[in-house]
Amino acid sequence: MIRAEKLTKKYGPIQALSEVSFQVSPGEILGFLGPNGAGKSTAIKILCSYLPPTSGHAQIDGMDILDHSLKARKSVGYLPENFQAPPELRVFEYLQFRSCLKGATRKEARRNAGYWLERLDLADRVQQPIASLSKGLKQRVGLADALLADPKALLLDEPFGGLDPLQRDDFRTLLKELARKGKAILFSSHVLPEVENLADRVHVLHQGVTQADGSLAELSRKHQANASVLLRVASQAGNLLHQLKQEQSPVHACAIHQKGNTLTIQTPSFEARKKLLPFLAESEIELEMFHLLQPTLEDLFRDLVQPKENQ
Amino acid sequence: MRAFAALLRKEVFSLFVSPYIYLLLGTWFLLNGLFFSFILGYPAVEQDLTLFPQFLFGSGLLVWLLLPAFPPLLTLKLFAEEQRTGTLEPLLSAPIRDVAIVAAKYCAAWLFFFTFWIGVLLLFLLLEFHQAPLDWARVGGGFLGAISASSLFLATGLWASSWGGNLILAAGGGACINFLLLFLPVLFENSPGRVGALAKSLHIPNMLDRAFAVGLFDSYALLFFPIMTLLFLWLTWVRLVSRRWVP
Repeated sequence: MIRAEKLTKKYGPIQALSEVSFQVSPGEILGFLGPNGAGKSTAIKILCSYLPPTSGHAQIDGMDILDHSLKARKSVGYLPENFQAPPELRVFEYLQFRSCLKGATRKEARRNAGYWLERLDLADRVQQPIASLSKGLKQRVGLADALLADPKALLLDEPFGGLDPLQRDDFRTLLKELARKGKAILFSSHVLPEVENLADRVHVLHQGVTQADGSLAELSRKHQANASVLLRVASQAGNLLHQLKQEQSPVHACAIHQKGNTLTIQTPSFEARKKLLPFLAESEIELEMFHLLQPTLEDLFRDLVQPKENQ
Repeated sequence: MRAFAALLRKEVFSLFVSPYIYLLLGTWFLLNGLFFSFILGYPAVEQDLTLFPQFLFGSGLLVWLLLPAFPPLLTLKLFAEEQRTGTLEPLLSAPIRDVAIVAAKYCAAWLFFFTFWIGVLLLFLLLEFHQAPLDWARVGGGFLGAISASSLFLATGLWASSWGGNLILAAGGGACINFLLLFLPVLFENSPGRVGALAKSLHIPNMLDRAFAVGLFDSYALLFFPIMTLLFLWLTWVRLVSRRWVP
């Protein structure tokens, strides 16, 4: 449904995107992750035909965004990062205008605008000038705009910005419902828990380069090297720490933190974790708990992005 | 077509509710009223009121000052202001053809500028009401010339507005092009060879003064303005599509 192949974008000497490829299938939600300036917004702007790529191709619903730009745009609902609308228009007028712009008759436009205003809890704002709306309300108007023409693909750039926690919940529910109806959804966000809760897959960008792409489970498997092991012993935690630091310990080179009777070992590899359990058995220390902490999306994100930022 | 009509309605509405535009309109009416009364006081016009349209539409400050300066002040809202405020992005990512965007914005500006001229027409109707001996063929010709020139200057203004989000550049750039279109042919009309011939063929003040304002419908002048208008609208379209296509 949304397909990008080797998208590259240069702004003069600055490489904003470098051969970025991904795809979003119908019914799938892809979370676009990356620090500021990673190229997320640029990629989204290219997909909605606002910016041309320097090289590479992209398709929306099988339509090339360059060769069939108009048809591709018909299949897309786009919410820009800082959504802005003509301040002189009222909420209903704006949505009616946008619906007509997307090909609806005036009657259809009134119906579409009314439906999405109701659905997004904006029914009491219909006569309010857009200029007087708060950022969160504006964002909801922008989302209503993106959904007006019942697009097959949704491109949402930082859609959670300005929304309060309740609105975020509603928004998340709505996006999941839309995905169930078969829409392909691509959204970028800095709010990692939101991505973790919502996205079926994540695509991590850093300095315009793809760092990872896959479901959270896939990425967790790939990056288990960064998992931690949590150990709790009945007593002698200091003794265990000492043993773990010995050269024959499979985790002697790892960072180990002690807090009371609990030790947290940041294991460098799957092999080390595999050898850890027999080692502990041999040590004859009474173990109360052995727990493998899967890395969170935040851990993965840090692993993928931070080392490069430090370089 | 629906998208074009929707955008045209929105643009006209946006212009009509803009306080800035009413300030512009007020200034236009005030200055035109002043020029009007000033020209009525000319000895030649006092003697023969049929010459009045030629002085107003042909060689007066209306042509040399107001006509080139006002249209870019109106059109700066259409692209430059939209880009500055961030509303151009949703528009350009909507499924509407670039040519429809240019056409809708131009038509909205044209319709609105027409109201500028209606105010001037009211002044003539006031003279008629006082039974002044006007030559309506000249008045009509003068209006046609002024509206034709306005159409061209709105197109140049729209092009300048499409350059970016800088309002000063949009207004200043549009006005500069308009003044160049007026003054360059005057400066070079006596040059020898092709330069002089070209200057004469692009001589807007001559077309207004010696054709339209005397009630003469010169087919060259009648074609010149629409062709030049289309040229600048095409440049605006090129500017718009180049954002989408040129990497």
